[in-house]
Amino acid sequence: MTTPKVKSSHILNRRDFLKITGATGTAWAFTQVVTTGPLSSEAIRGIGAETHPGGQASAGHQWQMVIDLAQCIGCNYCVWACQAVNDVADDDMRWNVGFAERTENGQDFYMTRPCLHCQEAPCVKVCPVGATWVREDGLVVMDYDRCIGCRYCEVACPYDARRFNWGGNATANAYQPTWGTAEVESRPRGVVEKCTFCVHRIDRGMAQGLTPGVDREATPACVNACPVGARVFGDALDPDSPVSRYKAAHATFRLREDFGTEPKVYYVRPEKGG
Amino acid sequence: MATVQMVARRRLAHPLAWWLALLLAMIAAGLVGGVYTLLHGLQVTGLNDRVPWGLWITHDLSAIALGAGAFTFSAAVYLFRIKRLEPLTRAAVLVGFLGYTSAMLALFLDIGRPDRFWHPLVYWNVHSVLWEITLCVILYSTVLVLEVLPMVFDSRFFDHRPRLREFGHRLHRLTPILAVVGMGLSLLHQSSLGATYGVLSGRAIWFKPSLPIMFILSAVMGGVGLTLLATILTGKLRRQQLVPRDVQLQVARFVGYAALAYLYIKLWDWAATSYYSHAPGTADALTRLQATTPYTLTFWWWEIVLGLLIPAGVLLYRPLRHNDRAVLMALGLLIFGVIVNRWNTTLSGLIAPPDWSPGVLGGVVLASYTPTWVEIAVSVGILGYALLAFTLAVKYLRIYGPSHPEHA
Repeated sequence: MTTPKVKSSHILNRRDFLKITGATGTAWAFTQVVTTGPLSSEAIRGIGAETHPGGQASAGHQWQMVIDLAQCIGCNYCVWACQAVNDVADDDMRWNVGFAERTENGQDFYMTRPCLHCQEAPCVKVCPVGATWVREDGLVVMDYDRCIGCRYCEVACPYDARRFNWGGNATANAYQPTWGTAEVESRPRGVVEKCTFCVHRIDRGMAQGLTPGVDREATPACVNACPVGARVFGDALDPDSPVSRYKAAHATFRLREDFGTEPKVYYVRPEKGG
Repeated sequence: MATVQMVARRRLAHPLAWWLALLLAMIAAGLVGGVYTLLHGLQVTGLNDRVPWGLWITHDLSAIALGAGAFTFSAAVYLFRIKRLEPLTRAAVLVGFLGYTSAMLALFLDIGRPDRFWHPLVYWNVHSVLWEITLCVILYSTVLVLEVLPMVFDSRFFDHRPRLREFGHRLHRLTPILAVVGMGLSLLHQSSLGATYGVLSGRAIWFKPSLPIMFILSAVMGGVGLTLLATILTGKLRRQQLVPRDVQLQVARFVGYAALAYLYIKLWDWAATSYYSHAPGTADALTRLQATTPYTLTFWWWEIVLGLLIPAGVLLYRPLRHNDRAVLMALGLLIFGVIVNRWNTTLSGLIAPPDWSPGVLGGVVLASYTPTWVEIAVSVGILGYALLAFTLAVKYLRIYGPSHPEHA
């Protein structure tokens, strides 16, 4: 069956040449794809940037928050204002959580935590449909119409910042209108929700020439609601913003820096000089 | 001779009817649970924001892993040309098809928006291992359908449909190509299922490169094991040897060696992540798991001893390998071990989440999870579907015996 091999005087025949060229080409294409192409580590940082432009008005800004645990009195106003404005009726689904805590030295304090808006967000990298992404201005946002509700982002988030809408929005919102009125649509059953740093206020405010962190209309509800100024918000790229000034004046830390998630929420320790 | 067969058949008629009735009852329970879930959403499950994945994900991971016999046998027969394994290929493809369809049924109910199940096809996030898994599973299920169709068209129901049968034969000629494509897709997604947990840098107990390797090794072991178990069991019920004895022994020995290989990686994984390391994340998580769950029991006794050491011993010790009952028991334990492993892997990272509070009270609520009756009913129903489909397939299709008498 096998045809007798024709002895070739050439070192390379046409077939071998094509094979080697093909293999080299494939290898080159593969390296391109993983070093500079769509699978590169550069590209994983820009997930969603092309498909969801959003937030152009605040491109060139980096929104950050400082939570001063030494100032916080544990009144929970930030938690309730968030629930009213973002229409989170169910207490188990709070985007912004608060609970009593104690330092190693035995001093009691109140711990609150919104979504930390990680620059290296684990939740963003894992979403199978690209329904969540890091905007140019650093906000981690969601497309509720695209989410399939697989909850992989919840599994990936080390900070427990995401909430799944298990049962729809049957209960009435007890925090409206005392703590604010709904400014965004409530989410349908079956998708994952999260804190957005009140992105709707930031985008609308920027369009009106307001400064988030300074002008109340453009500032997250939790920051406005705080009676003791324990939450500070603003543009980290502007040295005169409230957040930059607060960070310059206080020693801050971020939650579990060892995860490498680069959160955008900074904390001031509850103990003076601690 | 004929009378003996008649008597045997009449005796068998009753158990088979009971068996089918049981399976239909299981499927009915699953339908009730499934409809209930679609109507009321995932609030009817025991899942919560700290443990958002549970029984259905375990079912899905186990079904895909135990379906891996399909690609292993196809690759062995059509790629490496180990022709003597051919008698098991169609059984393996059937088991694989049932595993993947089971997984897709479980996933369909497990996502919050089943109406958007098609989104991964349209909206791509090429960086997500889950996106890659979704595409691979869909493509590979297509391969499995193409491999199963010729068997269906060869059954007597299609005696009067010569064109469909001819189409089936043409498809069957593509089998070597399908085997290559299938192996590529399977190697990708079987390991990525482990990577689903392995790439999560925020969850120390999962974040390790060994997970994808352990997942694919255990899948090959469990997938081949389940194919062999189903074959021997079917043979016992029919009182005949469905595949040549030497092939059965050889495959049993292969599963034994695969178990050893898996055990070897598991040993070093444990040594590196638990025994020699006291890295805060992993150590904390393990301490919490051991304090609040029967993790030590399920890991050491169920996964390692019952699921690997005993089966490997039986399958590799010659006298026991020749004893069908011992082999059946060993394979059953092995499959049990794979399922326990998928459960342990999923739940370990969720039950013991990382502590992010700067305080010492650890305001993080301890997570817990118990499946509800809805979840159990749906899982039972999906299992019933797989068992019913297998029963009917071996009864009405030519799963065992020569593939195409006309070609032979």
